[in-house]
Amino acid sequence: MSDHGHEHDHDHDRTVKPMVDEITDFEVLEIALRELCIEKGLFTAAEHRLFTEFAEQIGPTPAARLVARAWLDPDFKRLAMTEPLAASKQVGVDWLEPTGFGTPSDFVALKILENTPALHHVIVCALCSCYPRPILGNSPEWYRTPNYRRRIVRWPRQVLSEFGLVLPDDVEVRVEDSNQKHRFMVMPLRPEGTDDWTEDQLADIITRDCLIGVALPTPGVTTNIITTTRSAIRPIAN
Amino acid sequence: MSNAEERAEQLALISRLKATYPEVPEWPMPDQMTSDHFLAYMKNPHDVGGELDVPAAYENKEEEQWELMTYVLCEVLGMRGIWVSEERRRIGNVDVGRAVYLGIPYYGRWLWSVGRLLLEKGYLSWGELTDRLVEIQDRYAGGLAGRLPDAQPKSEGDGANVTRNAHHLEAAGVGDPQIFAGKAGPAKFKAGDRVRVRELPALFYTRTPEYVRGAEGVIAEVTYESPAPEDETWDRTDAKPEWFYIVRFKQCELWHCYTGPMKDTLQTEIPERWLEAVR
Repeated sequence: MSDHGHEHDHDHDRTVKPMVDEITDFEVLEIALRELCIEKGLFTAAEHRLFTEFAEQIGPTPAARLVARAWLDPDFKRLAMTEPLAASKQVGVDWLEPTGFGTPSDFVALKILENTPALHHVIVCALCSCYPRPILGNSPEWYRTPNYRRRIVRWPRQVLSEFGLVLPDDVEVRVEDSNQKHRFMVMPLRPEGTDDWTEDQLADIITRDCLIGVALPTPGVTTNIITTTRSAIRPIAN
Repeated sequence: MSNAEERAEQLALISRLKATYPEVPEWPMPDQMTSDHFLAYMKNPHDVGGELDVPAAYENKEEEQWELMTYVLCEVLGMRGIWVSEERRRIGNVDVGRAVYLGIPYYGRWLWSVGRLLLEKGYLSWGELTDRLVEIQDRYAGGLAGRLPDAQPKSEGDGANVTRNAHHLEAAGVGDPQIFAGKAGPAKFKAGDRVRVRELPALFYTRTPEYVRGAEGVIAEVTYESPAPEDETWDRTDAKPEWFYIVRFKQCELWHCYTGPMKDTLQTEIPERWLEAVR
């Protein structure tokens, strides 16, 4: 994973797996399809490389930076709420890239959900795993699971409590089920104890989990809630 | 080469995979099928919102090289106009059926959807694919010995005559859904309107979840114009864009015995065809 997309949340508690030497059915199928697509001219190896490079550099840093900047600059916050695509560009994310019409799976329709003292948002795609990849990177595994998708829409406070987030009854919990072309991220409330912080310091505590809505930004907390990570058999080549 | 005992073991394994309600015999006669069971079988497998489940340990996952390659494969095919993502979602999240939906890894279905689409649209033949699968299995038959398997295309084809959709060219420089702006006519609803989600039979594909059907909500926002996913998923070039809306529901009205406070809400995005006005 390149440094560009490096997540500051270090989800690295891994178990060691024995080496599996035999090629898997999925690897065979993927290679077969890729070879045949290139041989038939559906796409070129260069186009495949281009998209691979795009995929390898996305991460949560731009979204964290967007929120940090919005906390510091009311004009930028207004831009983020009224023209989220323009605000994205200011943190280096052009939602039309790399195809010119948006990624096929993420489209060009970002909406930022602003939390208030009376309103807390949490995001899910109950049908699949729609997620604002260009600005937030790839979704965590748990976000994609039927377990999260089944339960967060119907028992949101219970699921949030499993992440350690318990909200009082006078705060409205609003679940945003991201099931069409819109892609969402949360703008959490700026926490107490961050006066005079720089944009970098603020961005550090705006973790991916805060941007999904399963955590609140907290001074001193720069990691996501869940850090256990299942290792891959053959992880991504660097 | 498998022997009779190995074939018998695989048959025994498959025989244990149950995909039907236990209270009704397999292969029911029409008189044994009730409507609620029919609707349960017809329900799009991806539509899991509100289904019963229990707390379980959540974890992150280190991505496999093949998973990254699968994601890239799917997106490059979209970039080059072979499909739109809604076709992938239908094939990989619904057409697979409930057993495969729950039974194989997430990216396994992304990959399956590529093969299925390329065969259905005639980009590949079954023979070409199968021969290549065998060739790759043989290529690595002795074991990987620590290598990452990789693609070795025999040539790079001339893509000029490949059938591609118009969308990937028309939307370039404009964006999706921006390309559909101005094409839906006047929006039927406006922010603040009370609406009910229609209870349509929803066979084959939809992105309007079952858990909101029949429920009343309020238009929170009029969002954009686009073909509905129910059209986009079938690669219809004549699909007429319609207005989409973010609809807000009160959780205590949406769910029987909702356990949270009365003020909790849920929002989801719904195309116009699914909504009717509440007087």
